[in-house]
Amino acid sequence: MSSGWSWWVIGLIVFNLGVTFLLFLWAPRAKVPVLPDGTTGHVWAHGVLREGMHRLPGWWIVASFAMYFIAFGYLVLYPGFGNHEGALGWTSGRELAAATAANSAKLDPVLQRLAAMSVEAVAGDAQAQRLGARLFVDNCAACHGRDGLGNTRLGAPNLTDADWLYGGTGQDITTSIRGGRTGVMPPWSTLGEATVKSLAQYVLSLSGQPHDAAGAVSGEPTFKTNCVACHGPQGKGNPLLGAPNLTDDIWLYGGTLAAMETTIRDGRQGHMPAWSPRLSDDDIHVLAGYVYHLAHGADAAAR
Amino acid sequence: MAYRHFEFIEKHAWMLGILTASMVSLGGLAEILPTFVEANRVKLEAGGKPYEPLRLAGRDIYVREGCYLCHSQMIRALRFETQRYGRFSTAEESVYDRPFQWGSKRTGPDLARVGGKYSDDWQRVHLTEPRAVVPQSNMPAYPWLATAEIDAAEIAARMRTLRKLGDPYTDADIAAAAKALDGRTELDALVAYLQGLGVANEPRPAEANAAATAPVARTSP
Repeated sequence: MSSGWSWWVIGLIVFNLGVTFLLFLWAPRAKVPVLPDGTTGHVWAHGVLREGMHRLPGWWIVASFAMYFIAFGYLVLYPGFGNHEGALGWTSGRELAAATAANSAKLDPVLQRLAAMSVEAVAGDAQAQRLGARLFVDNCAACHGRDGLGNTRLGAPNLTDADWLYGGTGQDITTSIRGGRTGVMPPWSTLGEATVKSLAQYVLSLSGQPHDAAGAVSGEPTFKTNCVACHGPQGKGNPLLGAPNLTDDIWLYGGTLAAMETTIRDGRQGHMPAWSPRLSDDDIHVLAGYVYHLAHGADAAAR
Repeated sequence: MAYRHFEFIEKHAWMLGILTASMVSLGGLAEILPTFVEANRVKLEAGGKPYEPLRLAGRDIYVREGCYLCHSQMIRALRFETQRYGRFSTAEESVYDRPFQWGSKRTGPDLARVGGKYSDDWQRVHLTEPRAVVPQSNMPAYPWLATAEIDAAEIAARMRTLRKLGDPYTDADIAAAAKALDGRTELDALVAYLQGLGVANEPRPAEANAAATAPVARTSP
């Protein structure tokens, strides 16, 4: 605030407090004419209501006067009197810093203890699970669901099963959270709709589901030419590329024939955002432990 | 001043109104007027840019659909807010918001730093069909955005108007609007706007309050 506006504010405060002070001086001395019947002579509703006359109660005057002096104390201690910063040096930023520091004093020892442990060990820690659950619902649940069961609309994987696109070790999970992941399945519509459909039949056959045998046979050569680079010759996938295992009957975008044909025809570029630096490394470590816990349940505690 | 003056005030509602209004306005004159007059001092650091056409269109859709009725874009300097949402908001971040989207009325979460938190796909599904991704959500669905097209000429006109108000759009920026908006739907625009919140024009950590930088979301034990 410029000094001109500072003086403007100071002027208004002085005026306001001055007027109030004059009221305090004047009001007890004010002579209010009272009629013989004890009213002031003010009438409303054609005389039905008449205004009586009572002095203000003593406690009210004392309280009011006390508040008047508290205003001076406030203006000395806190910012408010123009550019005066206040004797306490209070700012909302400093209050936040103090509150954050107080919280860190409680939280940091916990996070340091957990940071020294492996993700697999964190997964079995009760305190870490409470921290992780909070972080999970606020950040991860939007896509993976509150229970970590995933969402086939988004291709967000189920985190509670043993199937991992990019590997399921603590280190793999940490890497996925920290840097995010982006699927890179290209569209294959250029192969023609008939080939797309026969490929889908072949993919169905990989996990032993009901399929059209003739279609699967005609789809196999195309699979061997185009798909094995990522999904492997047996369709077992490749965690280095995030290429899913096609033989386990677990489907990111749902296991219907229509979903499979869409995936082959249009490709899939499912995207998980990077969580660093939105979350601190310590938080990501706790979260990775929580996700590991989701997948391994009671097993994690035994490690 | 004698009592009869008071009697006059008391018995004449217009005089009571005028005097009440003038005393009440003292607070506003002290608290609102100085920052209002000095608002032009709030400047983005060098490199800050006004909304590009697609995000500008998205911002106006955000306002049109009343998103601000449930979502604020103001992270207050309170520990439990900075822990959840990130560094507290500053006036500089809103210089190109007309009207600003501050507030503390939250039926949904604060969106000041939501950009990049979720994927574009998530935002699309969530706006079209919120309960497909968040089963317990009470947000309304906005399915018509996916098919509504944007009138590029109208956005260019808005950019010219904003330039009159001081936003530094160049002729080239305005001329490029038609190409940037070609074939884009309102859903594209709104997603682009949301994905820029807290990302574009965010003050650099070194310049922000040291107390609130770096790890933005921390948990309570």
